[in-house]
Amino acid sequence: MNALKKICESPAVLTLIHYRVVVILVVAVILSASLVPGLTEFRTLSLSLDRAATLGLVAVGLTVVLLLGKLDLSVGSILALSGIAAIGLQPQLGQLGAAAFGVCVGLLAGVLNGVLVVLMQINSLVATLASMIFLRAMCHFVTESNPISGADPLFGLAVSRSLGGTFSLRTFIFLIAIVLLFLWLTYTVAGRHVYAVGSNEDAATASGVRSGRYIFGAFVFSGLMAGTAGVMQSLATNTGSPVFGSTVTLTAIAAVVIGGTRLEGGRGSALGTLGGVLVLAAITTALEYESVPSYYQNIVTGSILLLLILLDRIASNSPRSALSLSSLLPVRSKEQSPAR
Amino acid sequence: MTSAHTLPPRVTDEKRGRKLLGGIALPVGILALLIAGSVLSEQFLTARNLTNVLINMSIVGIIVVGMTFVFIVRGLADLSVPAMVAIGALLALGLQPALGSLPAAMFGVAAASCAGLINGLLIGYARLNPVITTLATGTIVLGVAQAAVGGVIVYGDSPGLQSFLTGRLLGVPVIVLIFLAVALGGHLLLSRTTFGRWVYATGANPDATKASAVPLRFTKGAAFWMTATLSGFSGVLLGLTLQTARPGVGTGYEFDAITAVVVGGVSLLGGFGNMPRALGGLLLVTLLSNIMVLNGIATESQGLVMGALIAAAVALDVYLRRRGGAS
Repeated sequence: MNALKKICESPAVLTLIHYRVVVILVVAVILSASLVPGLTEFRTLSLSLDRAATLGLVAVGLTVVLLLGKLDLSVGSILALSGIAAIGLQPQLGQLGAAAFGVCVGLLAGVLNGVLVVLMQINSLVATLASMIFLRAMCHFVTESNPISGADPLFGLAVSRSLGGTFSLRTFIFLIAIVLLFLWLTYTVAGRHVYAVGSNEDAATASGVRSGRYIFGAFVFSGLMAGTAGVMQSLATNTGSPVFGSTVTLTAIAAVVIGGTRLEGGRGSALGTLGGVLVLAAITTALEYESVPSYYQNIVTGSILLLLILLDRIASNSPRSALSLSSLLPVRSKEQSPAR
Repeated sequence: MTSAHTLPPRVTDEKRGRKLLGGIALPVGILALLIAGSVLSEQFLTARNLTNVLINMSIVGIIVVGMTFVFIVRGLADLSVPAMVAIGALLALGLQPALGSLPAAMFGVAAASCAGLINGLLIGYARLNPVITTLATGTIVLGVAQAAVGGVIVYGDSPGLQSFLTGRLLGVPVIVLIFLAVALGGHLLLSRTTFGRWVYATGANPDATKASAVPLRFTKGAAFWMTATLSGFSGVLLGLTLQTARPGVGTGYEFDAITAVVVGGVSLLGGFGNMPRALGGLLLVTLLSNIMVLNGIATESQGLVMGALIAAAVALDVYLRRRGGAS
């Protein structure tokens, strides 16, 4: 065990663990490229990315929530409800109006989560569990448990059709959201405060950071992103269904955690989430091409997730490693700072 | 320390009013539901309907017993419950032709128990985050269970056990008796044994508990192991009574169990709550659901009420102890 610890604490291994997203991504892409002929072609890549965009947008929102050490289980229900709004209200509000309203539904659901967690001081796990159940029931209530479809299937095609031979609209939105989030988290004071609140909420509050506002904002942002993802998915399929997004919450959390964000908060990055989403997209594409049943895919995803959090625990959180010589090395100090 | 289960340290004498409110809210709620139910529907207060309520409670109730331990030990929640229920049900039915019905059932429980052991080791000893760990192990276990039976619906072929489980013993359905036995065992374990004290101590103050040489890691791990084993057992019972099992059979059971425990007022912050409270919460939720069904409200739409109920229950819990320093 000691020998294992020593190996784990060596600078080379720590660097590898620090940039594990890149390592996993490279392995996943090489594996899937060897299994799927033509994966590296631009058109295939663009299609795979388009399919991952919904998951990606949800993951972007969850990144901030997880960075703050909270959890949002309700994103799947928000996704379904805003999709239903975007399709079902088309006769009343027009296509663009309904889409905008769908995004607003996501925003409002985020506000609901924020009120529960920040104002009513309910633990985020239980609070978002409550809103998850509530919003899912709302989906079934307004649609009477039947999927609904819009009048004009051509309108939604704009979302998933590639723009000028490049990526589709929702892929662009996803990528832009990732880049903006990365810049905000890394280069602005407010973004740095997110890390501060996530690392130690009480200490951040004592230092004059309004922790509650950041947490409230994170839930609103998460709801907004899930709402946007739901509207896009419903437009692309021209359907609003009360069962949409029932598995997306778990997959999105997996993507964020694979990307190196810790559930305890305070560590993680937007680019890591991009890596996590790409890893899951590569695995999905490869396994589907090989027509492996989806439950094997669950085994793979679960194992990766488990291995990663175990590595993370061994490498960075044992009290011994904090006292060891290697903690003085530059790699070590980088690992400990929230800067990533 | 010895009175940890009778006198939570966060409630002091000057807040007797609040303590009283926390104590009577649940019985009053159940009583109000019983009255409202009998007013709204004449079928509600019949022996047949109330027996149905008890049977509906039993499968989830066995899981609730385990989940209560997880909550009190400050383990947040076990999200691998659906996978454990599914693996129990799938193996109990799928292995019947090969092993015979009773060994297959025991194998189902044993498989869930092994998976629970992994949960316990990872959460208790490796100190991983319980939410993400149980999420990951749940995904893996469900995948393995599906791979084992080929991802299809499994049918049972021995009606012997089914007729025993759905039958009655002294006028009480057997499945209810099993649930009551598990609940009683859980209650005694929590309130009368050293292990029970450890559970409260671990949840109330981990640092002080560790300094008192209580096996913190063992206690936390054991709570998760118990929950997985009980979920597997519950899955076996579910599979045997229905005589069919599909991989999604356990979906929602984790949330049902969490809802019951939370509504019962067992604190997510750990160290507070007991088995009668959790089961009272379960009774309240099941009665509420039953009343809604009798009044023609679709199961899918009941979440509108359930979600609000969870939020209200926890908000009350937080309000009652906010000034105890445990925000």
